[in-house]
Amino acid sequence: MAPSQASYAPSLGKLLKSLNGQTLEASIESFIYLLKRRQIKGDDCADATAHLLRQVIAKSKWSDVDQLLTRVQNVGSRLAQAAPHEPIIGNIVRRVMGLIRDEASEDRNADDLGSETASDIQSLSMNAPRPQHPKPAPIASRPQTLTTMPSFHVSKAKSMFNLLSVVDTLDSPVTGASTPMSQAQPTSVSALRSEVLDGINEIMDEISQADDQIASFAEVQIQPGDFVLAYLPSRTVERFLVKASARRRFTVFIASLDPPQASSSTDPYAALRKKLNAGGVKMISIASNGLMAYMSRVNKVIFSAKAVYQNGGLLVDSGASVAAQAAHAYSKPVIALGGVFKFCPEDPSDEIAGETGDSSSYVSYADGSKVDALEVENTVADYVPPELVDVYLTNLGPQTRHHLASIMADHYKPEDVGFSLIPGEV
Amino acid sequence: MATQATVAPVGVTSPQGGSRTIPAPANPPTAATANPAQLTPAQLKAKAKADKAARRAQVKETKAVVAAADAAKTTADAKGGKGKGKQDGPQSQSKTGPQHRGSTSGRRPSILVVEKDVRSGIPECFSHIPMAKRIPTAHAHKDVHPAVLVIGQQMATFAIKDSIARLEATLLAFRKVIESYETPKGNSLSRHFVPHVLNPQIEYLTECRPMCYSMGNAIRLLKAKVNDFDIDTPEEEAKEGLLETIDLFINERITLAEFVIARNAAKQINDGDVILTYGRHRLVEKTFLLARENGRVFDVSIIDDPYDRGGQELARSLQQVGIRVFYSPNLGGLRANVERATNVLLGTEAIFANGSLHAAAGTADIAVAATNASKKVIVLCETINFDRERVSVDALTYNEIDPEQNTSDSFRLLFDTTRDKYITGVITEFESGTGNSPAQAILALLRKQEDPTVIA
Repeated sequence: MAPSQASYAPSLGKLLKSLNGQTLEASIESFIYLLKRRQIKGDDCADATAHLLRQVIAKSKWSDVDQLLTRVQNVGSRLAQAAPHEPIIGNIVRRVMGLIRDEASEDRNADDLGSETASDIQSLSMNAPRPQHPKPAPIASRPQTLTTMPSFHVSKAKSMFNLLSVVDTLDSPVTGASTPMSQAQPTSVSALRSEVLDGINEIMDEISQADDQIASFAEVQIQPGDFVLAYLPSRTVERFLVKASARRRFTVFIASLDPPQASSSTDPYAALRKKLNAGGVKMISIASNGLMAYMSRVNKVIFSAKAVYQNGGLLVDSGASVAAQAAHAYSKPVIALGGVFKFCPEDPSDEIAGETGDSSSYVSYADGSKVDALEVENTVADYVPPELVDVYLTNLGPQTRHHLASIMADHYKPEDVGFSLIPGEV
Repeated sequence: MATQATVAPVGVTSPQGGSRTIPAPANPPTAATANPAQLTPAQLKAKAKADKAARRAQVKETKAVVAAADAAKTTADAKGGKGKGKQDGPQSQSKTGPQHRGSTSGRRPSILVVEKDVRSGIPECFSHIPMAKRIPTAHAHKDVHPAVLVIGQQMATFAIKDSIARLEATLLAFRKVIESYETPKGNSLSRHFVPHVLNPQIEYLTECRPMCYSMGNAIRLLKAKVNDFDIDTPEEEAKEGLLETIDLFINERITLAEFVIARNAAKQINDGDVILTYGRHRLVEKTFLLARENGRVFDVSIIDDPYDRGGQELARSLQQVGIRVFYSPNLGGLRANVERATNVLLGTEAIFANGSLHAAAGTADIAVAATNASKKVIVLCETINFDRERVSVDALTYNEIDPEQNTSDSFRLLFDTTRDKYITGVITEFESGTGNSPAQAILALLRKQEDPTVIA
């Protein structure tokens, strides 16, 4: 997480620091450049997106929910387009949009309630059934709109904000899904703003705590004496292993496809090794292309997912599917780690999974004949089909493939699932 | 073990200014990458004894560090004079020095000590797996023939690598051994040659690097041939007969086999095919070139092993004859590569009695992926590489540790085992070009033929 301060290259840390000082547009642009240069990748994208959307909500001008949603969607799709290989960005955008919708409907309900008490004689005389408490559930709001229609006009007249917003409501792009929302007039933009900001803070907390929460399941998953194959351990996996090492004695195989870069002579997992060894856990780095050879010894395979698709397939670092396949051939369980924020209500895309990257570390550009001869395809992202994954270990606990749909439904609004990469009306 | 690793340097570093900061297992790559390959029981016993003595010596040593250091230094110097000087100076000496003290009773004490350091880095769960090691030529058995010495070194350094190349080199070296052999007075070749001349050679080669199965097969043939000679067979006639056997063997089982396999396999390649292969295997390369010569137009998709990169050479040689090549530097793009391919052509080191392949690590991953995607997996293998005695279902039964990747932070096995269920067929020189058959069929054929080379 800690960005190397020594480097001059822009990094996530610097971006986050500069967020307050810069104008919103400048922040968005610099974030997009970081994404395009892949200076922000993986889990950091989620955090950065949340930060940026927080700025969008805090800084941009908006006077009603629809405007806000459009704004968030536009910025979101710009980000998602800048990094189509990071579906996680879209997830966060969807979460924030869902959050805004929730807060808005909650707001309106509260608003309804407030106006009703103001005109309670009217409603009493109507004897309409009405909620005693503001109901957060958006379903409840529809029948109410009928009974409380008169009170709308009362509240509109009372509120100065709404004097302005009437005009805006008319020409704001109204999506079909959010039509009922546009009728609702939030009494206070600033109240909504602060509630949404609070909600985003919660999402950011969720992201930052996900690793720890996942790690808390480590003891259940790892038994004493296990041989665990960790493929390209990410922060999440490292924390998981370290947590397990506190209570369990086991052996970790660390695997990756490529030999460590000649330039970095140090062991990339030296820190992890130190931590694991401190807990009495042995760590063995496997320097091998194929992993079948070791599978008969391995008890379980663990890696972290970059994204979990709605069919249960995973987007992973290149080579993790080789590990998963080898485990499957030997009937060893495959445990995929990833916070719920990585659950992506989309179908897997071949383009992203087959993404190819820099080939210079494989063929030296100095070797002309090889450069001419080889069409190097260095795949950097990979797709693991759902049937190869046994356990999805999330911050909400271990899940199975069959339960993924309900988790998706809990976290995303159906209106936002279709959030597309194609930029809306910018 | 642990005490040795920690205490040993203490004894000697003081005179050398304490320059040594790396822990023992982190051997510099230039250090003799040696280890016990396959020690005979007697050797193991000697080694164990030596270890014990060394440990005792160490305990004393810690009590009188200075004295011990001096003693160690003198021993180390003495050893250095014995031709061990090329092994990078103070580090290896500081490690080996004190241990020599206790182990002078061993036959090749210095080697035993060096191998200890190298093997100590091997995780316990893989400690049963042998590893090639470099034996300083000065420490080889005195009866080892110079020609064998050379190929031993080449095998230990992986200059001669694949099973057929090793087999051929061995046979040619044995040819020289036979040519220069003279039966001592009062002995007969058929009684004297194998135990006193051939066995030391084999022992040395095995120590350099565990024998491959084709070598085992060939040596068995050679020994059977020697035993066939009558005790009264004149020496010249016997030598002539052995040389002829070797020549015939090389011709039939290596040269001709390669040609026939390539010819049969090339027939399986059709226009428009995309053939996936792994790394660089001699037979596969031959097949591609022959198919191209026959006018086939096809693409080749090479998945390489980043620890070997032989695939780059293959890519280049295919490119030169106009075959389009897709090159993946590692298994990362396996899924896409398999989907694009029409079939998979693999080479192998050996085939076990249960039909499992013993092939370069990574082969199994490709075979499994291809089988899952319902692609044909064809294996090319000479019958000499069939091992009829060994059965292996996982890669940890028979394997080798890569001496180049055996440090504290990396470990690598050279081979993996592919179960026969992931193989569509094997092409050997037995086939008449009608296609490929399961490995079991060929094993049955070998048994039926009662091939003299594979006497069980």
